[in-house]
Amino acid sequence: MHGDTTDTVMRRRIAFVVFVVIALLAIDPSLFRIALANRAAMHAAMTHYPDRGWDAYPAFLEQVRARTKPGESVALVIPAMRWDGGYSYAYYRASYFLAGREVLPLVDRDDVPQPGNFARAKYVAAWRRDVQPPMRVVWSGDGGTLLER
Amino acid sequence: MAALGLGFLYATGIIYFVEFALAVAGIRWNVWNVTLPALVMAIAAIVIGKPRFTRLRFTLVDILTCVSVATYALYATIARVWEWDFWAIWGLKARVFSEIHTIDWRFLESRWNDFAHPDYPLLLPLNYDYAALIGGGWSDRWLGAFTVAFAVALLLFVRELAARETTPLIASTITFAATAFALSGFIGLAEAPLIAFAGAGILFLRRAILFDDMRAMRHGAVLAGLAACTKNEGIALLVTITIALALSKRHLVWRFWPAFALALPWIVIRMLHRLPTDLARGSFATRVLHRAPHLGAASMLLLRNLNAPGVWAALLAGLLVAPHALRVRERFVLLVFVLQVAIYVVTYLGTPFNIEWQIATSWPRLTAQVATPLLVVVMLMLARTLAPEHRPEDDLAHAEARPDY
Repeated sequence: MHGDTTDTVMRRRIAFVVFVVIALLAIDPSLFRIALANRAAMHAAMTHYPDRGWDAYPAFLEQVRARTKPGESVALVIPAMRWDGGYSYAYYRASYFLAGREVLPLVDRDDVPQPGNFARAKYVAAWRRDVQPPMRVVWSGDGGTLLER
Repeated sequence: MAALGLGFLYATGIIYFVEFALAVAGIRWNVWNVTLPALVMAIAAIVIGKPRFTRLRFTLVDILTCVSVATYALYATIARVWEWDFWAIWGLKARVFSEIHTIDWRFLESRWNDFAHPDYPLLLPLNYDYAALIGGGWSDRWLGAFTVAFAVALLLFVRELAARETTPLIASTITFAATAFALSGFIGLAEAPLIAFAGAGILFLRRAILFDDMRAMRHGAVLAGLAACTKNEGIALLVTITIALALSKRHLVWRFWPAFALALPWIVIRMLHRLPTDLARGSFATRVLHRAPHLGAASMLLLRNLNAPGVWAALLAGLLVAPHALRVRERFVLLVFVLQVAIYVVTYLGTPFNIEWQIATSWPRLTAQVATPLLVVVMLMLARTLAPEHRPEDDLAHAEARPDY
């Protein structure tokens, strides 16, 4: 430290404090809480996390997937036929579970109905909604119905 | 150590290019036609690169880093990947491609699927597809492990790099601090790979600039190119890095060409398929000009939505405490950071969506993307301020030694 000015010594002290503070701020207490948490309960909570409020919807989509073939088209009907009122979630989620099928929305981002998609779809997956025939009921359960044209 | 991390990063790049080439050639993927060419490329890379594994001196702080990574791994793999952007973008595309064992261009081109951002680069989804090929079918139960692996790859690299420039205790402390950004909270998304590719790439380029290390230059260019194969922000990063190189060490700019060569195939293909980009809707320039007078309000939004504000404040303090000469020395990383953030701000001004929503849903992620190199250089600058007798030129001896990559 010979020859060091007071400013230099002060700068070093501040640098040391800032260095330590950056390292301390990197400690994420939530990670350590996770290590001590009930893993089974967390697993259940995170498994259902994407579908909170729509608990039976994934099971319904899995059943639709089991009864449709890759390449076939499925139109989606749910109670809320407004894009930001739940339809976008239902449509995105259906696109994931029904990967390989062509999932067709019946409203667009601007809530404009898309009757062309309804006419084009081979199947209609109706979740908590009644769809009037003429369509054949392929399967019913888990809160919804799969209909075939 | 760094070689292990780099090995993983390059392996994911190789898998991406093999699957991408097969898809463009109209050949469906199977375990063999992806694995064999990938193995040949990996062996060629090892033979040419001759990586070696040096042993580092570990400290007690390394144990803390390992505990953080272990608990992070527990979190990331607690359940099927739950993030919205996973099942609506990255995982969705991977699952759709997995159904037909190739890239589903019809899906990407459909106007009904623009929510999945068809223009986004495909490195991560194609690696998920390789996992599905190896596993015999699609499963999202353990895909969170990819996020962990990318984070670990970057931390291994940071540990090695820091150890070459400072003491083991400081190097291990810097690595622990780097977990603040390297352990991305966005499981299953392309943030973790982008953070890893961009972080390692920028730090390699820094080495190339400071120590005239052409081996580091090649690694930096390739890793930056892979960042561009991961997210659109990675493509923007290529421009940022080129400008920063031009302002820091101009003669290295042309040596950055591999980055553009790696990014080009996807950019060309997505143009040929006319895959839509959000920002191209309407007039981007008009939106920027319209919102420019409200830059102050936008800046407040950015501050309010800042992830880990304490760390950012401490980094800013560190920058101010460090002597001017060190800031000049590290100007490449500082320039990259500032320019990249500037690009994000302009992008927010030009977004076709509600700017408040756009900032709230993306800014916490974006700020982490190029934060690791900034954190590393700020902490190295502070370490040098603490021990100025360890002068930058002392590093030349390290730099000339055979590096571990």
